[in-house]
Amino acid sequence: MKLSNILQLPVLLASTLLAPAPLVSAEHTSNWAVLVGTSRFWFNYRHLANVLSMYRTVKRLGIPDSQIILMLPDDMACNPRNAFPGTVYSNADRAVDLYGDNIEVDYRGYEVTVENFIRLLTDRVGEEMPRSKRLLTDDRSNIFVYMTGHGGNEFLKFQDAEEIGAFDLADAFEQMWEKRRYHEILFMIDTCQANTMYSKLYSPNIIATGSSELDQSSYSHHADNDVGVAVIDRYTYYNLEFLETEVRDLSSKKTVGDLFDSYNYEKIHSHAGVRYDLFRGGAETARGRLLTDFFGNIQNVEVDGAKNTTVDEEMLALSKTIAQLREIADEEEAAARNASKPQSAETKQQRKVQSTKPLNNDNWWTKKLVGATALAGCSALWALGSYLETPKKTSPS
Amino acid sequence: MQLFSSLVIPICLLAAQILASDYHEQLVLKPLPQSALLASFNFRSNTSLAQFENHNFRYFPRSLGQILQYAGTRELHLRFSLGRWDAASWGARPWDGTKEGGTGVELWAWLEAETDEEADHKWLTLTNALSGLFCASLNFIDGTRTIRPVMSFRPEGDHLNITMANMHLLHGVLPREVVCTENLTPFLKLLPCKGKAGISSLLDGHKLFDASWQSMAIDIRPVCPAGEECILEIQQTIDMVLDIERSKRPRGNPIPRPVPGHELKCNSSKPYHDEHTCYPIGFVAGQEWSLQQIFGKSMHGTCPLTDPNIAPVCIQAPHSRDVFTSAGVKELKDPNFPQRCYIIPENEDFQIVLPSMQHVGENAKSDTDEYLEPDTPLLYAERSFTGHGQERGGVQTILTNPSPDQEVEFVYMESLPWFMRIYLHTLQARVLSGESGHLRKDEDVVEEIYYRPFLDRQRGTQLELRMRIPPQSTVFLTYDFEKTILRYTEYPPDANRGFDVAAAVITILHADQTKSTRAFSNLRTSGLLLNLPTPDFSMPYNVIIFTSTAIALAFGGLYNILVRRFVGQDEGPEVTLMVLRRKIVAVLSKVAGKLKRANRKEKAEGKTE
Repeated sequence: MKLSNILQLPVLLASTLLAPAPLVSAEHTSNWAVLVGTSRFWFNYRHLANVLSMYRTVKRLGIPDSQIILMLPDDMACNPRNAFPGTVYSNADRAVDLYGDNIEVDYRGYEVTVENFIRLLTDRVGEEMPRSKRLLTDDRSNIFVYMTGHGGNEFLKFQDAEEIGAFDLADAFEQMWEKRRYHEILFMIDTCQANTMYSKLYSPNIIATGSSELDQSSYSHHADNDVGVAVIDRYTYYNLEFLETEVRDLSSKKTVGDLFDSYNYEKIHSHAGVRYDLFRGGAETARGRLLTDFFGNIQNVEVDGAKNTTVDEEMLALSKTIAQLREIADEEEAAARNASKPQSAETKQQRKVQSTKPLNNDNWWTKKLVGATALAGCSALWALGSYLETPKKTSPS
Repeated sequence: MQLFSSLVIPICLLAAQILASDYHEQLVLKPLPQSALLASFNFRSNTSLAQFENHNFRYFPRSLGQILQYAGTRELHLRFSLGRWDAASWGARPWDGTKEGGTGVELWAWLEAETDEEADHKWLTLTNALSGLFCASLNFIDGTRTIRPVMSFRPEGDHLNITMANMHLLHGVLPREVVCTENLTPFLKLLPCKGKAGISSLLDGHKLFDASWQSMAIDIRPVCPAGEECILEIQQTIDMVLDIERSKRPRGNPIPRPVPGHELKCNSSKPYHDEHTCYPIGFVAGQEWSLQQIFGKSMHGTCPLTDPNIAPVCIQAPHSRDVFTSAGVKELKDPNFPQRCYIIPENEDFQIVLPSMQHVGENAKSDTDEYLEPDTPLLYAERSFTGHGQERGGVQTILTNPSPDQEVEFVYMESLPWFMRIYLHTLQARVLSGESGHLRKDEDVVEEIYYRPFLDRQRGTQLELRMRIPPQSTVFLTYDFEKTILRYTEYPPDANRGFDVAAAVITILHADQTKSTRAFSNLRTSGLLLNLPTPDFSMPYNVIIFTSTAIALAFGGLYNILVRRFVGQDEGPEVTLMVLRRKIVAVLSKVAGKLKRANRKEKAEGKTE
């Protein structure tokens, strides 16, 4: 444990040393997507279709499955009510099967909870958590966070059983920033009164957009009669329309501003909101960001510029200190191991899982005898007790 | 039994070659009655144990190999299943039921650990790692769902006696777990050909999850052939029963619409048959089908890594049935067994067509020409809930031995959730003999019981019974249980749907081969859906609203009483109406007084006058 703490030290120290650097060069080196549907039950088909269509889009633009965290609270594709087994469609023309042949769902069913979502963002997970279910981002990662479900003023329901508040979300993002877990975030949410969900965010470098204002509902776009339910929400539909037609590949120069400008009340039937004020550089810089910075997978390679001798010297000194610290830690750990060795041998024998026992009549007479003795003992005690009590009662009279 | 042997015998014949080669795959198609088709996919790859320990995995999937090494797993069995095997019409199960699981996800493994605690820790690591790999919520297999079976499972691999002493068997099952495309994707990625070539290219989630019954299995075990190096073997199998009519529907339009009148096939032997009345033949008539229609895509060539000596596709149908294949395919007919295998040339499309069977008219063929008579299984089992109400219930399992002369011995295992509190003293086995035709309570049916009771929120009930059923008899196994009321937060979001109870596992022990470890055959009952008393989840909010209202009313009244000052009527300020009345009275009395005085004056004046 101690060793691993110390091993993390270089990373921390290096990040503190290099802290000003990422702010100067506004480059990111990896792209991640967190796509969350929060509704269970068949009639919420459209929410899962929303999420899956976003999943298809980010995958189309090159983000690999290992960098997409997909949360699906219910199973629509293999649902017995689905007339099209193994498929999810987001359009009545049924041209694109969103489930396809190659899909990796990271959190599904009952695993989609507020706790797991916040643990995922802040990376507070147990050591047994597999890597594919973790958000392994760093301070050079751009993250696209998409959420959809049923919500209200400053909350979003998870599976109709619990809810996440706007403050919870804001605190989670702040913790991410403090832990240097992101470079820039594009937060997109499609739910009723969605804009209230990002109103409490206070961490830097977040562009937020939502489908509807306070006291406004977010509407579905259209239904498929054979599927039997609405298949997509309006806001997501028009986002997708823009992404499908304007951002065909990674070479697209469309910016976040272009996407936001395409929103209008006639199409979405609610007032989509945008928030730039958290972004370093304000609206101008935020609007200038390419859409592929968030939806695509651009891997910028950082090339070391002019040699800075002082930094090199500092790093050398630092690595020496780290080596020393590591040695000390190794020694300590070895000492601790030596000390604890005899103890562990003792504790080994202590706990044993109670195993299944056969039920049989092997010691029938012994068991009966034990039972009879116990009963006889109890009755003898009772008799003794009553015998001792009786003289007291009789003596006064 | 026959099917199992039919699947195994050709493999055994070529055993030497299999062990020498590292990978092979085979698809066995078997038409079943009622227009169903059983498709069994089998993929097997090997790596020598020494190479495995040196991280040289070859055809063994690396992702899984690393998990096994990390979690100290010696043998692993993982099942993803959907649907129900219809034993009454389809007969015995493929692979003798050893490659199937209960509905949902089932996992059992032998872990090498010195203590139970260490085994538990490794189990936690294993379930979590597998949950990440297979996109299933296997991490939900916690202490409450884990059991350590005593009689039901035996290691299938060859283990050294030293390691056997330290091996712990743990078994967990998730009956609620959905099986869908996201589970098939990682399954295919484990194969050397990744589902891109060979028979694995036929596997498509759209067809697989539309099947009447399907089971995906992964078995990993060490095999030590005598005098040879030990190998680690991974077998991946997918068995599915497809409804031919259903899987032939086009993918874009799978919803069945009524057949137009002129296309209906009528049964003309019915007395009421005429122009206007029709008894549709439906699936009684054998249908034409081809590989492409059934799986939605055709097979292109073979996986280049597979052993060329093993035919990739076999079909088990009577030799009298016509089977057409694409050109260039070599057919191998087994003279002793109704099975035909096909050797496919590399990089050529493979197609197989079974034309429809004529049941009427000239050259009429019977069912025996169409498909093999299904084998009678060794045992039929069905399980259901009895009783009613929110408090108590019962479980009844009906086990039937169809054999006319052989008794059957088996282990019946149940892993029940802790909120189903069973009363073991109510466990009863009654036998209905075929000859006597009457029920009798029989103590001899149950030979041995292993039982571990539940602990609230810590572990579930484990019950294992070794039973023996005489020939042509039915056993009714019943017990009662009490339903627990859970805590408010313990209910899942869809609590009103009910709680799934895992399938009971039945392991049939073959009397003649008791020593051999691989002579088991398995059977699983269907899962159960337990209805627990479920609270009204809006109740807390209703209570809050109700109490707030009550408090508001009480507080209002009390506040009113406390704050108000009570004064006598005469002390307080006068009310307007009273004032008005008094004024009117005063005015009236004034007027009256004046009149009186005037009268008196007049009288007085009159007297004086």
